[in-house]
Amino acid sequence: MKKQKEQHEQKNQWLSIALGIVTATGGFLDAGTVATSGEAGAKFGLGLIWAVLVATVAVILLVEMVGRFTAVSKKTYADAIREDFGFRFYLLPLTAELIAESLLLAAELGGIAIALSLLTGISWHILFPVAALLVWILTWRAPFDVIENGPALLGLLTLSFIAGIIALGGIPFPVLTTLWKPSFQQGTVTDYLYLVAAILGATISPYLLYFYSSGAREENWTGKSLLLNKVTAIVGMGFGSIGSMALVVLGAIVLQPLNMTSNTLGELGLAMAKPFGIIGSYLFALTLFATCLGAALEITLALSYNVAQGFGWEWGEGKKPVEAARFNLVLTIFLLVAVAIGLFGIDPLQLALFASTIIALFLPISLSPFLVLMNDAQYLGNKTNGRFTNIAIICILVIAFVVAIISLPLEIISGGG
Amino acid sequence: MVDRTDDIFSVRDILDSQLETSDHIEIGRVADVAVELRKDGTLVMTHVITGPQALAGRVSLRLKALFRLVLRDRFEHHIPMNEIKKFGPTLYLRGKAEQYAAGQSERWIANHILRWIPGSGNAKG
Amino acid sequence: MWKKVPIYVGFIILLLMTTSCQLKQPSFSITAGNIGSAFAASETTLLYAHEGKITYAYAASSFDNFQSELNGADQTIAASQGVPAASTMRQLLSLYQEAMRAVNTPCLNDTCNWHIQIAALDRASKAFLKAGNS
Repeated sequence: MKKQKEQHEQKNQWLSIALGIVTATGGFLDAGTVATSGEAGAKFGLGLIWAVLVATVAVILLVEMVGRFTAVSKKTYADAIREDFGFRFYLLPLTAELIAESLLLAAELGGIAIALSLLTGISWHILFPVAALLVWILTWRAPFDVIENGPALLGLLTLSFIAGIIALGGIPFPVLTTLWKPSFQQGTVTDYLYLVAAILGATISPYLLYFYSSGAREENWTGKSLLLNKVTAIVGMGFGSIGSMALVVLGAIVLQPLNMTSNTLGELGLAMAKPFGIIGSYLFALTLFATCLGAALEITLALSYNVAQGFGWEWGEGKKPVEAARFNLVLTIFLLVAVAIGLFGIDPLQLALFASTIIALFLPISLSPFLVLMNDAQYLGNKTNGRFTNIAIICILVIAFVVAIISLPLEIISGGG
Repeated sequence: MVDRTDDIFSVRDILDSQLETSDHIEIGRVADVAVELRKDGTLVMTHVITGPQALAGRVSLRLKALFRLVLRDRFEHHIPMNEIKKFGPTLYLRGKAEQYAAGQSERWIANHILRWIPGSGNAKG
Repeated sequence: MWKKVPIYVGFIILLLMTTSCQLKQPSFSITAGNIGSAFAASETTLLYAHEGKITYAYAASSFDNFQSELNGADQTIAASQGVPAASTMRQLLSLYQEAMRAVNTPCLNDTCNWHIQIAALDRASKAFLKAGNS
């Protein structure tokens, strides 16, 4: 009888994979990646696809690792940082996340507002508090399932970008050559390097790791969920990556010939409007809405999870707000802070790019605990990292350090892309 | 997970561990420990301590003094070692959540702040 | 000693940021390129709106963003490094003014003359892009 129940539960977990996979896209694709992808394509053709691929591989590895860690040890990433490294060290990634993700959250809320604005014509400044309220209502009361699956299902619209590319006649050969020979007519070398850093920072966002790790606990993953975890990581992040690359291609084949550099989010939608007309522009706006909403939910929760778990408070979307009072209060405060940042009226796209640069700056601090934790048998038993995955972490950390050092000066020199 | 068959711990095993009550409520983490020098020369850990002052003390002693000035020990809680039923990355306590003062800010926030927000699930509000 | 590492790191970051801020005088070609691209984007948006490829609502929202991107750009470019001869700047700025009339009050219905606006945006975009590339 118990074995039957276990088998039934396992089947359910595999059902959730379809949706869990699509969830990952909310973490991969967000205002930051949409912004950097479009700009990368418009300025350098396909010359930055390699950066997207590197970022994809890195994020797949990190997500698989953090999922494996939590499934086996039943501890989240934030739990483990506090317990293994002590409170003082814990303050470092915490502070980094608080600064960087508050900025990014404001940008995502702006992204939601702009998406709604493109659909309705109402000014995004007015829609900004509406976006914040929507995110708050969902994080306040909605169960984890809804948060995970709602925006994720909408995120399937990303596939429309591929349809757009096909409808535009695919990738012309001259554009294809920019894969190995980037065109520099619309951008400088500084721009190029800055976008490399921004793409890596926008994609390898630590909030995704805190969220995924906590989500694994919300879904009660165990040592038996490791295959589910691997598949979710690869297919989910792969899906997001395809969406990001599709945006690069659209930027390259539509925006670049028209001398646009995708400095506003709406411009990228024109690339979908060209083949599909109004439907195309709606598809873009809806996808932007879905990915920014997913990202806003994940960031809000990731920050709150981080604080609650680090300080040892009750947390979880499965509980009523009063059952996890400090967690929900912190969540509400974060949204208020993001709204306050948003009131400065900074263009969401510029804010997203800036936030990605700050995230890139702090990446080494946010990611270095991995090297220790993934080799700790106390947490992982016999599921610690193999040599390949350890080398992979070191490579990722090296990339993170390089990106961290060059990103801020580059952003300033290149005038913010 | 750790299987503790010996009785010797290091402070590191206890600091920053999660505190969980018998009704499965997480009330906080160990910020510090209190020790006592016994007459027979042994140093014995008597309490685990939670609270913002203790946490501040982990960062710097001056910060702790500042916090003490402002908070006046109102949020510091000492939990005797014999309240701990089981050791590990999570310390399991014998009593229920309401028996420990350490979780009181949680209840205070639930009853005084969150109740005014719709949908908080507060039975009174 | 190692306890002070976070302080040193923070200090270095701060130093990097402040020196970079002082280095930041946007160059003329970067600013000109950005302005040119923005006008190109405005032109395409207006064109698509009248070709029925996007709704007027979408266009209105887009122009909102173009306005914030472009308003004040004439002052930025005048202050940038590597400004060309005065006569070139005068010409660019007059094209800017003309195009900004379109950006600030885009013709988004059937009654006004949007062809004139497209032409103004096109002229300005081409001129700024050319100036940025030279």
